[in-house]
Amino acid sequence: MIERSRLLPRDVLALGTSAMRSRRLRAALSALGIAIGIAAIVGILGITRSSEANLLAEIDRLGTNLLTVVNGSGISGVESELPTQATPMIRLVPGVQSVAPTAELANENVFRSDKIPVYETGGLAVRVADPSLLATLDGSLRAGVFLNAATERYPATVLGYQVAKSLGIDSIGPSTRIWLGNHWFTVVGILDPLPLAPEIDLSALVGAPIARQLFGYDGHPSHIYVRADTSRVVQVAGVLAPTANPEAPDEVSVSRPSDALAARAAVAGSSTTLFLGLGGIALLVGAIGIANLMVISVLERRTEIGLRRALGATRRHVAAQFLTESLLLGTLGGLLGVVAGVATTVALATARGWSISVPPVAIVLGLGAAIGIGGLAGLYPAARAARLAPTDALRTA
Amino acid sequence: MSAPPLELRGVSKTYPGEPPVESLREIDLTVENGDLVAIVGPSGSGKTTLLNVMAALDRPTSGSVRIAGHEASALGDRELSGLRAHHLGVVFQQFFLLDHLTALDNVASGLLYRGVPADERRRRAATALDRVGLASRMTHRPQKLSGGERQRVAIARALVGEPSIVLADEPTGNLDSATGAELVALLQELNAQGSTLVVITHNDEVANAARRRVVLRDGRIVA
Ligand SMILES: Nc1ncnc2c1ncn2[C@@H]1O[C@H](COP(=O)(O)OP(=O)(O)OP(=O)(O)O)[C@@H](O)[C@H]1O
Ligand SMILES: [Mg+2]
Repeated sequence: MIERSRLLPRDVLALGTSAMRSRRLRAALSALGIAIGIAAIVGILGITRSSEANLLAEIDRLGTNLLTVVNGSGISGVESELPTQATPMIRLVPGVQSVAPTAELANENVFRSDKIPVYETGGLAVRVADPSLLATLDGSLRAGVFLNAATERYPATVLGYQVAKSLGIDSIGPSTRIWLGNHWFTVVGILDPLPLAPEIDLSALVGAPIARQLFGYDGHPSHIYVRADTSRVVQVAGVLAPTANPEAPDEVSVSRPSDALAARAAVAGSSTTLFLGLGGIALLVGAIGIANLMVISVLERRTEIGLRRALGATRRHVAAQFLTESLLLGTLGGLLGVVAGVATTVALATARGWSISVPPVAIVLGLGAAIGIGGLAGLYPAARAARLAPTDALRTA
Repeated sequence: MSAPPLELRGVSKTYPGEPPVESLREIDLTVENGDLVAIVGPSGSGKTTLLNVMAALDRPTSGSVRIAGHEASALGDRELSGLRAHHLGVVFQQFFLLDHLTALDNVASGLLYRGVPADERRRRAATALDRVGLASRMTHRPQKLSGGERQRVAIARALVGEPSIVLADEPTGNLDSATGAELVALLQELNAQGSTLVVITHNDEVANAARRRVVLRDGRIVA
């Protein structure tokens, strides 16, 4: 019986790291490609997950029981009228908590002052609103107060978040006025952003009585907000159209704004595919980098390979040494990449005030991919090293 | 002790080409336990080729090579590797020390492919370095050692596993005559301690020190 050649696992590991330890810069550079690819993938998955989690938390906070009723025939984007009876009828629907009618006054414009030319309307709208709107939308005020039974009779307005921003109004005093529909209106309040009612952000709100008086408003709502019992949202949504406009229920569109937000989360998730693809390309480049280093390494270490064969190394031992080296390079790149990717996610999430959520599967897959790539990249060089005949390897010059 | 460490019968090695080169022709050679054999011959006579065949690094075109009683031609690559790890020690003309390892670790690598744990490898390497008179150079790297010292590190690496036979190619080739004389003394001492040695050499001093001389010419043993 011939005693076998044996190489202890610990020694395989030591051999695999020896070239890395003596050529640190080279090892680090060759692991960099993998690190960048993994960092991109982990970072993107982490960031999308965190932003998605944030969006879903926001949807949760805003509630999914808000419904809107619009007469959807406006091709021009202008809301058309609903019957005046719509609001009281909706109020009677079982499961409805509160109803707030609004009406866009398409012919009126908002300006900072009477000196601004009329064609610069800036996409801002004038909207008749009921004092119940704030509670129905569960909104809050950045400054001042909302319309109430008193102020809705006077030329007073509450500005949507975007309107205040566009007009450059960030605080209100007793004399803060805007030029609205050819009349001066006193600004009594500024709203916080309303993610579920972005059209309110773009509106200057006025009371129905003053709108009747100054602009000839006829009392028809165009956009009604409905807050329903959370458990009965679907049933309520089902009857809103015929209730609001019994004569032409098909023209009425009922929607749940939180659905749009959820869709946005889904879209954000799907656009990551592109970035994941880019990360994949970085990984490919990284793999080529490691394979390249390993091929060079095998060429440079011909005599070492020959010597090891003379000392009793089998082909497998030689292959294991080089394969271990490239696996470790891949692992090193993977670890660096995961750390960088997680750090990026944490930094971005912290900066945006999101809660941090890195999917563990991203870390596991990232590391796994890096190790797998290291192994694949090392297969050919290791096989080449193993195939080398001892006498050929030892022949110098 | 049964089988001789090395036994060659009718060994020939022909390198293909135009015309083919017959580097070894019908070599018969037996090395017994405790032998100190010198192989001499002019350049191109086939000495290195013979060493490669004896060290199981190359296969002969025909003939039989028995290493520690095992017929090499019947063995696969893994078994030949086993023979190299357990029965053969080789000292190369260029030494082939690993630059990034200390003298001690270079010597210890002689036991690496026997599955000996690292601390025992080091312990035995220290003994081997002591045997070749380099106990004070253990932590030096090869770049910091003289040619003669490097050579002794290479010899210690071949010896550390106490193989059946140590084969050395041109061990004096790179050394001045004073260092050459020290080497002769060392080889004789190691042989006296029981190592079986085969030394390929141009050096008359080394050849004269050997108990047996084998003269090669054109791939044949002529004396
Ligand atoms: N791989 C090879 N392919 C073809 N011919 C070879 C090969 N190796 C050696 N030879 C030839 O075999 C012959 C013997 O070479 P070898 O290296 O054994 O000689 P040597 O006695 O060691 O010479 P030196 O004293 O110069 O080292 C030479 O003619 C050489 O050209
Ligand atoms: Mg030679």
